[in-house]
Amino acid sequence: MSTTSIADRMGRAKRGVGVSGTGRQGGRRRNKSLRAKTWTYIIFTAPALILLLLINLYPVIYAAFQSLRNGTLIDGGDFVGFTNYVNTLVAGNMTPAFWQAALFTLIFTLVGVFGSWAVGLVLALLLRTRIPARGLFKVLLLLPWIVPVVVSAFSWNWLVATPQSPFPMLAQALGLGNVLFLADPTLAKVTVCVFKVWISFPFMMMMMSSALAAVDNNVYEAAKVDGAGSWQVFREITLPLISRSTYISWILMTIFCVNDFPTIFLLTGGGPVGSTTSLVVLAYRTVFQDFQVGPGVAIAFMTTVVLIVVSVVLYRQIRKASIE
Amino acid sequence: MQEAELRGRWWRFLLILIITAVVLVPIAAIFLLSLQPSLGSTTTSQYTFENFTNIFSQTGVLTWLNNSLLVTVVTVIVSVVVAAPAGYVLSRGRNKLVSGFSLVLFIVQSLPVVTAVIPLFILFAQLGLVDTLLGMMIIYVGATMSVAIWMMAAYYDSIPIALEEAAWIDGASVAGGFVRVVLRNSLPGILSTAVFAFLLSWNDYLVALVFLRSSENYVFPVGLETFFQQNATAWGPVAACAVIMMLPPIIMFAVLNKYFSVGGIGGSLAGR
Repeated sequence: MSTTSIADRMGRAKRGVGVSGTGRQGGRRRNKSLRAKTWTYIIFTAPALILLLLINLYPVIYAAFQSLRNGTLIDGGDFVGFTNYVNTLVAGNMTPAFWQAALFTLIFTLVGVFGSWAVGLVLALLLRTRIPARGLFKVLLLLPWIVPVVVSAFSWNWLVATPQSPFPMLAQALGLGNVLFLADPTLAKVTVCVFKVWISFPFMMMMMSSALAAVDNNVYEAAKVDGAGSWQVFREITLPLISRSTYISWILMTIFCVNDFPTIFLLTGGGPVGSTTSLVVLAYRTVFQDFQVGPGVAIAFMTTVVLIVVSVVLYRQIRKASIE
Repeated sequence: MQEAELRGRWWRFLLILIITAVVLVPIAAIFLLSLQPSLGSTTTSQYTFENFTNIFSQTGVLTWLNNSLLVTVVTVIVSVVVAAPAGYVLSRGRNKLVSGFSLVLFIVQSLPVVTAVIPLFILFAQLGLVDTLLGMMIIYVGATMSVAIWMMAAYYDSIPIALEEAAWIDGASVAGGFVRVVLRNSLPGILSTAVFAFLLSWNDYLVALVFLRSSENYVFPVGLETFFQQNATAWGPVAACAVIMMLPPIIMFAVLNKYFSVGGIGGSLAGR
């Protein structure tokens, strides 16, 4: 293998480009008539843009206005200024629930992102070595991500929810006493977070696998010849080479975690006593169970704004870093 | 030396075997549970297919399956048809507007579905689209759009532009070159996008929960969850439904997994 190929592959790994893509192609291209091109491009993007505007952007703008009113699901309501925001953020009946949910969202996201990344990376590293039945393991380990969350939540419920479930019985047999996985607020938090890691690690495994695949084996061989230990190789060669993919996967997973409704709602419904209620679950309950559209939309909208700001900042960071 | 390496390989094999076994416990549990005789059953054997025969007559599982398949198939087809040309522009276009388009996609991708669902519910109520499968399809197609466009663009990036240029020299239009040269070579990209759209619409719970009201319109997730809520102790029949629900995505993934890659998303994001 030639040296250009290694340099090229390292470059690809640094850009966070897996085996499946080559990223943006460089170089200038011959010009097709610019006008013909422009019109074709407009027609090509129009349907997608209309859908994006209608299904994704319109609701956010509407939500911004709705959060300033005291409407219901059928009636627009009256303009009430920032009352909904004051009620949730500063002093009102929603304030304690809001901050509790904000804190849980933070915990859930941190555990979800770094937990699934760590598990996914370890598995990607293991699956990269030569072991028997590697292909089969790769597919089997993706199952938690493929199986519908309604199904897996049902299964986890059966495994942990009642005192007669297998896991509480196991805990009893081990002498840990009566362990209530979903009835104790702290344990419920832990269980929901573990459930999230279980669902999400395959995504991370795929991201990390394709990042690792772009790293050339010769890099490792060279390091080995130089006498580097495996931990040293991992810390000083592998991690830096896959750092771009790692950042991208963290950003995507942060978005997935903050937005995740079904994982939490289906396992615990946000309980016990609101301990596993995240911001999106709180928004859903406020609107569709308590029928307070104004405050609910205000919570959803604030979550949205924070997420957009965070993602745009991170997105620019990635772009800047990948241009360098 | 060689022996040590061989031993290391078996240790890693053992490690991954244990991890896989632990990870698969919840999924295996559903299969075993679905084969358990339910209360009042007359069978004496330990395992039975009774639950499967019973749920078809006693629940709306066939309706859910029908609705879910219809919604999912339409979503997959429309998503690919709309995302394929848009992804082409993202891959080949190179100016401020296209960069802006890319940023819009990124923002859209980060919007919480909960935020979108509330205003859409109000809008769809006025349009008569609440509690219809058509309404669900529209939302799902919209929800797949940003990632679908990225995935298509990531695949086009791997197709050399020289191919289109050759077609242009032969007199093809931009659109003609796209359809005859690029699209024709993009089957893996199309399948990858289709898998993503399939999983999104088949597995979604929130949209279905909010928008569906009448049981004849239930898609699988809502049907299953409602059945579970009403029969919290009837684990066997619920598990049988759950098995049926997870088979389509598993089968599809078993067939198409070699085409599916999320790695491309990373490149698509970083490269623009």
